[in-house]
Amino acid sequence: MTITLEKVRAVLVASFGVAAEEVGPGVTLAELDVDSLALVEFALIAEKEFGVAIDEEEITKDFTLEDVVSLIAGKRAHV
Amino acid sequence: MTAAVVTGVGGWVPPRVVTNAEVAARLDTTEEWIATRTGVRTRHWVEPGTSTVDLAVLAGERALKSAGVTEVGAVVLATTTPDRLCPASAPEVAARLGLGPVAAFDVGAVCAGFVYALAVSAGLIGARVAESVLVIGADTFSSILDPADRGTAMIFGDGAGAFVLRAGDSAELGALGPFDLGSDGELADLIMIPGGGSRDPAPEPGDRYFAMQGKATFQHAVRRMATSSQAVLEARGWRADDVDWLVGHQANRRILDALADAVDLPRQRLVSNIDRVGNTSAASIPLAIADALAPDPTSSGGPLAPGDNVLLTAFGGGLAWGSTALRWPAVGQA
Repeated sequence: MTITLEKVRAVLVASFGVAAEEVGPGVTLAELDVDSLALVEFALIAEKEFGVAIDEEEITKDFTLEDVVSLIAGKRAHV
Repeated sequence: MTAAVVTGVGGWVPPRVVTNAEVAARLDTTEEWIATRTGVRTRHWVEPGTSTVDLAVLAGERALKSAGVTEVGAVVLATTTPDRLCPASAPEVAARLGLGPVAAFDVGAVCAGFVYALAVSAGLIGARVAESVLVIGADTFSSILDPADRGTAMIFGDGAGAFVLRAGDSAELGALGPFDLGSDGELADLIMIPGGGSRDPAPEPGDRYFAMQGKATFQHAVRRMATSSQAVLEARGWRADDVDWLVGHQANRRILDALADAVDLPRQRLVSNIDRVGNTSAASIPLAIADALAPDPTSSGGPLAPGDNVLLTAFGGGLAWGSTALRWPAVGQA
């Protein structure tokens, strides 16, 4: 499975009730108004959906959607 | 091997209700912020003078009544907040319940304590050390909370819950098992009271408080409870969909939701009373079940019916975690 912006966007939309049109590639998680626990929840969902372990300290609210995609893709490259 | 079978359930929380408004006023936050982050809307805290033994006795009494017995062969108490550092609190609980000179001791596995205590008790029964055991989870976390710590002061409540177990057959309704237990002491600092133990016997006042790294705890809790739940499901020969009720440690509503998602179980199958009682540590699993069995259930999920497949899973400081399963027996709340 290739990790695409669309797949990460789908997780954010489905799990955090964010409107799809709000989730552009350069939008940060902070701008999506998710709280600090949501970062952990997102890491856990990504772990299950994309098969990579992401520790909670690896994602911050300053991450853009593109940063998240790079992080997951980078981890998958090392699986 | 002889199995341990659940024959009675009881729960107790102290009468004083502490609302989010009361906690929020002290923590410079809002009621809604607390509810959104934790799922807790009220918790119960003891009045000064009420201790863990008091709570354990009241829950134990109810469990004995629910089982219809006045004697047991042992009392096992899971707690992180014993009445004193020494001796264990279980002997005093046994004495106050009029149970005579039975075996009685405490188990320390923080929020995983009740599942550990069930496993130990099942071992006592399997080895024929005791024919029946009163297993209690009781904690008075209000006695160790830093009132100014947003990470803990809004989550924890006081309470107690108990099961009565007796020797029986593994094919019976109510038979516990298999168990999955685990620990990771590399992460001991994640959930702790820094001072007051042998490493720091005369701590600064602030080091007597319970401390928790919330975000890291959240992630480890979900991962460990999910993996441990799956180990028990596999060993029991159940698939996720066979589980009627998942009773997870009531750590945080969002941890429970993430746990259900991780093990592919609809969130409607979670038994939860965290909105009403908060995180009551070792008491949380039996208390959630006792509430779900009440004639007018005060927990979401349930009522548990005889024959329902129930999965219990807990995680806490240590780190320590554990899970087990049973088919619910014909047991009601006293």
